[in-house]
Amino acid sequence: MGDKADVWQGTLALMVLKTLQAMGAMHGYGIARRIEQVSGDQLLVNYGTLYPALLKLEQEGYIASEWGVSDNNRKAKFYELTRAGTKQVAKEEREWAQMSEILARFLAPGEERS
Amino acid sequence: MHWLRAWFSRLASIVFSRHRHEREFSAEIENHLQMHLEDNLRAGMSPERARREALMKLGGVEQTKESYRERRSLPVLETLAQDVRYALRTLRKNPGFALVAVLTLALGIGANSAIFSLVNGIVLRPLPFANPDRLVGMTAYYPKGPFVVMRDRSQTMDIVANTDGTEFNLTGVEVPVRLLGTEVSGNWFHVLGVRPEMGRVFQDGEDQPGKDAVVILSYTLWQRRFGADPYIIGKAITLEGISRQVVGVMPASFRFPSPQTQLWVPLHLDPRVSGDYWGNSYMPLLARLRPGATLAQARNDLAALRPQILAAFAWRMPADSWIKTSLQPMQELMVGDVRTKFVILLAAVGLLLLIACANVANLLLARAATRQREIAVRTALGAGRWRILRQLMTESVLMAVLGAALGLAGATYGLSVLKSALPADTPRIADVAIDARVLLFTAVLTILTGLLFGVMPSMGASKVDLTKALKTGGERGATGGHKLSSSLIVGEVAVAAVLVIGAGLLVKSLWNLSNTSPGFRPENILTARITPDQSFCEVQGRCQGFYSELLDRVRALPDVKDAAAVNGLPLSGDWETIPSDIQGFTIAPGAHVPMLMERVVTPDYLQLMNIPLLQGRTLNESDAAPNAERVLLVSQSTAERLWPGKDAVGQHVKPRWLNTWWQVVGVVGDVKEFSMKRDLTDWLDGEVYTPYGPHAIRGRGPESAPAEMTLLLRTSQQQSQLGDALQSVVAQLNSDVPVSQVQMLRGWVEEAVAGPKATASLFSLFAALALALGAVGIYGVISYSVAQRTREIGIRMAMGAKRREVLLLVVGESTRLALSGVMIGLGGALLLTRLMVSELYGVQSFDPKTYVAVAFLVLIVALAASYLPARRAMHVDPVIALRHE
Repeated sequence: MGDKADVWQGTLALMVLKTLQAMGAMHGYGIARRIEQVSGDQLLVNYGTLYPALLKLEQEGYIASEWGVSDNNRKAKFYELTRAGTKQVAKEEREWAQMSEILARFLAPGEERS
Repeated sequence: MHWLRAWFSRLASIVFSRHRHEREFSAEIENHLQMHLEDNLRAGMSPERARREALMKLGGVEQTKESYRERRSLPVLETLAQDVRYALRTLRKNPGFALVAVLTLALGIGANSAIFSLVNGIVLRPLPFANPDRLVGMTAYYPKGPFVVMRDRSQTMDIVANTDGTEFNLTGVEVPVRLLGTEVSGNWFHVLGVRPEMGRVFQDGEDQPGKDAVVILSYTLWQRRFGADPYIIGKAITLEGISRQVVGVMPASFRFPSPQTQLWVPLHLDPRVSGDYWGNSYMPLLARLRPGATLAQARNDLAALRPQILAAFAWRMPADSWIKTSLQPMQELMVGDVRTKFVILLAAVGLLLLIACANVANLLLARAATRQREIAVRTALGAGRWRILRQLMTESVLMAVLGAALGLAGATYGLSVLKSALPADTPRIADVAIDARVLLFTAVLTILTGLLFGVMPSMGASKVDLTKALKTGGERGATGGHKLSSSLIVGEVAVAAVLVIGAGLLVKSLWNLSNTSPGFRPENILTARITPDQSFCEVQGRCQGFYSELLDRVRALPDVKDAAAVNGLPLSGDWETIPSDIQGFTIAPGAHVPMLMERVVTPDYLQLMNIPLLQGRTLNESDAAPNAERVLLVSQSTAERLWPGKDAVGQHVKPRWLNTWWQVVGVVGDVKEFSMKRDLTDWLDGEVYTPYGPHAIRGRGPESAPAEMTLLLRTSQQQSQLGDALQSVVAQLNSDVPVSQVQMLRGWVEEAVAGPKATASLFSLFAALALALGAVGIYGVISYSVAQRTREIGIRMAMGAKRREVLLLVVGESTRLALSGVMIGLGGALLLTRLMVSELYGVQSFDPKTYVAVAFLVLIVALAASYLPARRAMHVDPVIALRHE
């Protein structure tokens, strides 16, 4: 397990939002599994940290939740992106791209910069 | 903005549907685990392993729930809410304790809120004018002439003037009435920066003769006398026989210069009437600093204007007139006199609150002992000291908050009582209310109070010795707590002693004041102001004829033994002053022109008032004859002041603007004209009596007769009946003449001591409360100490101690405490009562009798408070006491 990376706090929210954008309404467990799958099992999601993150997004109004029935006929709480959430995804994506581009420049070999 | 939304939602979840959220999240987590478990099983794990894996991945159910909870609401507030709920529960469980503590605090905080409301409304709140901090006032009064000179020449100020109060007859209405108005300079309203409710305010130049037939009504007058007529603007009303056009109505909130002011008319600035223009009607001057000008510049300006004023005078003024006059911020000038009074009262309630705090702290200390076990258990369960301290402090502050709520309710009621108890002439008393500032003050005071009385007991309580507390069952308090409560009691007794001494001194002053002779006999004298119009009196002799006819008719009334008239009653604040030349009297360097108070009287006034003749002769009818020699009487202290060591009879005096000298023919006893404490104000040099007749003068025009006379009737009858009879006599004589201020002379004397009486009663009330709280405190501490020493007392009795000795043991303890308290209190009083010297009369701030009496009183109260616990100690049964442990 030691070779897997822990998810950063800030990025978890973006991953959740992006997942919901791609997949539509999902329950907490589903979101966690999906994030792990997409990362090619490179990321280790401590499922416990997911729920406060979901709550925070809900309090901020980016996602909404509703009780529904899961595929295997179980009552589960489903999360869904709100309109504000959709906007927020776009915004955070942009910021992230910018950030990683800046970071990439720092990490590139010194001679190429000059 | 999304973080704000999140914050609100977290805040809301402290209060709403906590339990539903909790249940829902449990279900969600349970589902999550089930789904994970099923997946794991499908992946081929054994059931146990599948479950363990799922739990590990989640990171623990409880931990997840806890971090979820923290995110759901605001943890800091959440704990606070928890603490408050817990504190409320604790208080409910001990209703007796809670009630005593909350009531004590309500008393302390409520008294402070009420007195602070007064201080706030009267001393602190800005005046209700535009930019009130730019308004300044002059410390001396000026006649009209100097005002005009200053107004026209000042570089730094816009100067305005108003009379202190001028009375007007309103006629042409059903019953003629006497109204209090004020004459103001044309720019007065503009400079104050106030707007009318209706119509307009006066304009520059409306104080010129010919343009000044206008009037502005107060809201009350408009409502009461004119039925709130919406078309009043432009209508004419008759004041003093002169028709004036109503140009404006002021809003109800505008009550200046006095709450009784009912109308404003322009100042009559006519330099041709030189006696009035230069000599009489001294007025207070106000000014607004011009933009950019500072108070210091304005003061220099004022000093520079002084020689110009003196040069402009119609007669030569002493070179040092107004040399000491200065400028002060208007607010300071207005409240200067009452400030000391309020500082004293505020100090009293502050001390009262300290006592209340000490009492509640003592209660907490006693309770902390019984709570040791509870605290020990919580500590054992992992609560940190800080956490426990916070819980205990929340409890104290909560009690303070409850006390404050109750106290504020009491203060609201108390304030209305206070407002009616304080003398009506207290400046700005009508503006006093519980406003935002009072609430803020109360809130801050409450928190501080809660921390103050809570911190010591809580510190002690939160520091428990776990093993000992849990083992012994926590019934025995720490001895440290007892030492603390003893010193609290000593402090309490000391503070109470200070307050009681203060009250004693004030009551003694009041006693002295009430037993001071005013210099006349006020019994059975009915007084009434009877005031024909100014214009009526301007015709030579008409006014005199009216009054002498009136006096004749009144004397004929049944039950009237005697009747006289005077231009102003002692203690009524009504007087005429004349700047005078005095034969054989040299004005001391730095002193102002001698000012004499003139009482214009009918000859029998002195006899009716029982003012004794000490020298020479009294006035008689022939002195009032048109061609008689002008004579006057002086009061004893005036004679001593103006002609020390010489015979006053035969000396001469005259108003500055006249050429005829008046001769002194007699000396009479002193009268408390100004207040019960002083015969005359500082700026008056003496008092004279002149005969009422054609010569008698009043401000308007050097030789016109005084229009405003007050009738005095010596009677044996009730005021109301005689008042009615008087009214109808006046109406028969002239139906346009109002009768006002119908009152027994005794009433004026009582009003004169109303201020000191209010201060003394309030202070005594606070002192009595302090003493009562102190007694409760002593009772509590001694009871507690007896309860703790039950075993010791039991052993002593088993060893043969007599009941009397046990009694002495207990009483001895409380005596020791009370004695140390009284000693400290006496010392404190020596220092603190110096602050109230200005409020004392006929008694020193160090009055040995008061100090000794109070020391005994406090000791007796302390002993009485320890009587019950002592009796309980005497009746301890040694067998039960020893078995109990």
